Amino acid sequence: MSGAHAIELRGVRKSYPGFMLKDVSFTLPSGVIGGLIGPNGSGKTTVIKLIMNLVRREAGEIRVFGLDNQSAEIEVKSRIGFVYDVPGYWDDQSLDSQRRALGAFYPRWSDETFRRLAGEFGLPLDKKYKALSHGAKTKFALAMALSHGADLLIMDEPTAGLDPIFRRDLLKRMSALLQEEGKTILFSTHITSDLERVADVITFIRAGEVVFSLTRDELLDGWAIVRGDDRVVRELDPRLVMGVRRRPFGVEALVSDGDAVRRAVGGRAVVDRVTLDDVMVLMSGEVRHAA
Amino acid sequence: MLRNALRKDLLLNARHLWGIVPWFLWVAYAMTEPEAGRITAVGAAFIGSLMATTIGAREDKLRTTATLASLPVSRGTLVEARYLVAYIVGAATYLIVVMAAGLPWSVQRAAELCELKTLLLTLTLASAAIAVLMPVVIRFGLLGVLVFLGVFQLLGVGLMVAFEFFGSRSSVGVFSAIERGIAALHAGLEQPVVILETLAIVGLAIWLSFRLSVFLAKRRDL
Repeated sequence: MSGAHAIELRGVRKSYPGFMLKDVSFTLPSGVIGGLIGPNGSGKTTVIKLIMNLVRREAGEIRVFGLDNQSAEIEVKSRIGFVYDVPGYWDDQSLDSQRRALGAFYPRWSDETFRRLAGEFGLPLDKKYKALSHGAKTKFALAMALSHGADLLIMDEPTAGLDPIFRRDLLKRMSALLQEEGKTILFSTHITSDLERVADVITFIRAGEVVFSLTRDELLDGWAIVRGDDRVVRELDPRLVMGVRRRPFGVEALVSDGDAVRRAVGGRAVVDRVTLDDVMVLMSGEVRHAA
Repeated sequence: MLRNALRKDLLLNARHLWGIVPWFLWVAYAMTEPEAGRITAVGAAFIGSLMATTIGAREDKLRTTATLASLPVSRGTLVEARYLVAYIVGAATYLIVVMAAGLPWSVQRAAELCELKTLLLTLTLASAAIAVLMPVVIRFGLLGVLVFLGVFQLLGVGLMVAFEFFGSRSSVGVFSAIERGIAALHAGLEQPVVILETLAIVGLAIWLSFRLSVFLAKRRDL
């Protein structure tokens, strides 16, 4: 395994009743923003929990900055800023008390950074956590995660429940962290426009399996969507067809090599650039058949 | 790290520990009763440590368990802090009762409450509560505490019913047997052999409970 990777998963397995994460493998290079996408229940949160060692893996290997996430757990976690999908803090305590109690665990904790972020996010430090809105709770979790000089930021659905203005601001901050401080970010989301805006690497998980882990350019420039009649789609090389959706006036097929398919179909079908929405819909098994 | 974990437990769960305060109203009253000093001190420490043991249940309810597990601290250290907090709170509540002996209306003598045998009995009973309840809280959180208390209630009711209807002795006999056992232990704690045996058993029980709690905490998926 290479030290140039911020996150490396090899053959990771975890099972719950009715769900299994099967030999998940992917890498996230240092200094990039990685996005985890997939339908509900596909295993995105489980993957994040496995990286954080919140759940125990049954097989495989997980390394963060080249370190095993279990044997070097403390060192690994001191380098990670983590934002949970439903942030859990002490309801009846003020934000400042929580800052004092939790910040002490991090060797590189900065009160100055925390206060600056709290100011920018409009967080009232003397207020109790329970008095905050869902969005403000996420902002607090984010301020905590960004105040200890973490090299890697892991966020599970961070933009869910945020207003569009703060969502845009958060994405800008993520890009700035990457460009100005060389941090690595991994986040899961359902909002594909967020990923299109900032993600460098996109990992798609479906039913507990990694279907692909590609750079945004590889995906959006290399893949394509073919719109035509059923016969044209049937003639395509099946190895290139990643998903098919039947529409009232023909068929849409997601293909993993747009150029090759363009050459193959000529003018018999329309070959368009793909969007992450297309990928999500066509690869999630949510195929809508024509009436 | 242990210091940070301890600080975190005491700072962020202070409100939970304030739940012991009503007990001190009883303590203030008990100071007027000639025979109630020792039992009040032992009871206060027992309740204090029991209350501190349930911090895990509160954190489970607040969903902060995963937040804690994401900090750069081992789960073993977090569990260690829980045991220490339980003892610290138990000792603090005991100390408050000793100080309450100085209240103007008190008929208790502080020196009597600080006798070695009373301190050892308190340590034994508080340790028993911590040793039994802590692994349940660590593994099952709030649900664990509720089930645990529910099972004990049912067991108590079941025992009473069984003795009332099928036994030769009344249920009162069971409770007076427990009381006699505690009194016998208290009296025996003047002998060096009993002291050593008791300390060895308490130490072993807490050590086993701690190892079990760490094992359960490490295996728990959050």
